Amino acid sequence: MTAAAMVPTSPAMIEARGVEKWYPNGFHALRGVDLTVQRGEVVVIMGPSGSGKSTFIRTFNALEEFQKGSITVDGIALNDDLRQIDAIRREVGMVFQQFNLFPHLSVLDNLTLAPVLVRKRSKGDVLNQAMALLERVGIAEQAHKFPGQLSGGQQQRVAIARSLCMEPRILLFDEPTSSLDPEMVREVLEVMQGLAADGMTMVVVTHEVGFARQVADRVVLMADGQVVEEATPERFFDHPQHERSRQFLSQIL
Amino acid sequence: MPRVVRPGLRKELFANPIDGLVSVLLITGVGAAGYGLIHWAFGQAQWVVIQANSTLFAVGRYPIGQQWRLWLLVALLAAATGLSWGALRGLPQRDRPIRAVWPRNDRIAAIVLVALCCWAPAALGLAWPIQARWWGLTALLLVLRWLAGRYASRLGKVATLGLPLIWPLLYLVGMVLIGGGLGLVTVGANEWGGLLLTLIEASFAILLSAPLGVVLALGRSSSLPLLRWGSIAYIEFIRGAPLITLLFLGQNILGFLLPGGLAPDRIWRAAWILTFFSAAYLAEAVRAGLAAVPRGQLEAARSLGLNLPQALSRVVLPQALRIALPATVGQFISLLQDTTLLSLIGLLDLLGTARSVMANPLYLGKSAEVYLTLAVLFWCCCAALGLGSRALERRLNPPSLGR
Repeated sequence: MTAAAMVPTSPAMIEARGVEKWYPNGFHALRGVDLTVQRGEVVVIMGPSGSGKSTFIRTFNALEEFQKGSITVDGIALNDDLRQIDAIRREVGMVFQQFNLFPHLSVLDNLTLAPVLVRKRSKGDVLNQAMALLERVGIAEQAHKFPGQLSGGQQQRVAIARSLCMEPRILLFDEPTSSLDPEMVREVLEVMQGLAADGMTMVVVTHEVGFARQVADRVVLMADGQVVEEATPERFFDHPQHERSRQFLSQIL
Repeated sequence: MPRVVRPGLRKELFANPIDGLVSVLLITGVGAAGYGLIHWAFGQAQWVVIQANSTLFAVGRYPIGQQWRLWLLVALLAAATGLSWGALRGLPQRDRPIRAVWPRNDRIAAIVLVALCCWAPAALGLAWPIQARWWGLTALLLVLRWLAGRYASRLGKVATLGLPLIWPLLYLVGMVLIGGGLGLVTVGANEWGGLLLTLIEASFAILLSAPLGVVLALGRSSSLPLLRWGSIAYIEFIRGAPLITLLFLGQNILGFLLPGGLAPDRIWRAAWILTFFSAAYLAEAVRAGLAAVPRGQLEAARSLGLNLPQALSRVVLPQALRIALPATVGQFISLLQDTTLLSLIGLLDLLGTARSVMANPLYLGKSAEVYLTLAVLFWCCCAALGLGSRALERRLNPPSLGR
């Protein structure tokens, strides 16, 4: 890690200013989005499909490019410098809707691959940590199985453990429960709740209202590539200020 | 695991009158053809053409005094085959339904091998010491197959990582043994022939076209325009031209294209052309494999901090190559068969040697015997490749629910 990353210039974990993105086909996906995420904060982003919420959080670790505006993650500015991008990706964990576990590797190897390759840590050292993490998400007994042998909820918990094994400073969740069967949603949300209680900085794109009410420090509503409303969960769910928010809530509640 | 219920043969073949009629017709047809073939092969055919020229078919005009080197190489090959075969048997099979095809195929292949190696030398009327050598080689292969099968699971990573490395290494050793150097008398490429030359050309092209094909496939999927266009142009040009034209073209222009010394004579020029040709087709097989790996795999790897080479080599390619394996081996099999085109540019490969033998007035009208022998030889090589690849595939598939 570079010295610049160790001594953050900004106290915020994520600082996004006026982010604009056009897809190659000309679609204007993000229209000047601002967001600040403080250390230890849990921010839930909601919004109708196509509102740009997934695209937005994917810009934080450069899975999506943006054309205008600025994003700073843990004091490191996101620009075209590949070394900066790699530095940011080491510090930012991401959990995907489709889990994206590596099917050709065992659960344990899924966890240890990146710490050994990227952080250059010894395999034995990482193995201990990986087992402890699997214990924490409640699937230590599946450590030697392959992802294809696990249920969706178990796979998503492995994916969370895999991100944690890199010891990230922030975790991004891109609709982590949207492709799960209903009875498996809760086991994943409980793990996420535990992480939030431990002080992990999290940005979560989700439609889980219960989770947002209980865990989020702030709820952000996005629509048509813009932030419509940003408020505490109580205010957002009980007294939405904007017509667009009321309309969205009436559809999901 | 529910048992697979198999209806009796009678029910499968004679379920209703029409099925029965078709079955009777087919059985009669196949039976008549089979009877005709056996009647001809053991009655009328004159195998003296094969017996008298067996060395020529095997190694061409390779100097007799140096042939011990080839025997040594065959022994090494038998050992490597036995080890690999055994290790494949011993490794856990991950997605095997209870009644698998492979263990039976594997045993049948072993029995066919033993039968061929014991019977063929005797049938060809080879001298006693040579027959004994073939039996010794067969025994070596089977013993190593048994040993490796027993201890493969205990060796674990050494078996899975070490064994694939034996083959490129063996290729280098083989080239020294065949061609000379390092204290061995040089035997020039123009003295190689028959099955030996066919296998040299095919294995050279297989070994080199595999990495080249992967590079081309990655190039074609790259975001760098120059690399992408270059790869596309190469692949489309090669795939658009018949191999035989490329072979003729290669004999004329390859000398200008490759740095001096790399393509000194016709045999190596042909080997390079086969490599370049095969690589273009392999690239398409690998590209299909790359396309079948979900985009999320690369994203997950990159978001964990892996750089592009790490993400490709550890996450994307292992999955893509497994998916591409059947098509890749299919390409290797057609490559092996395509080597017969070398006879058209005047090389004495297996077919070239056969044509020169048949041109001898002594053996006039014996072409059926010769072609049948060639067909059986090629079939053996291709069957071995196919069986091996299917066994490998089954062990590379990651396990999933319900298996």
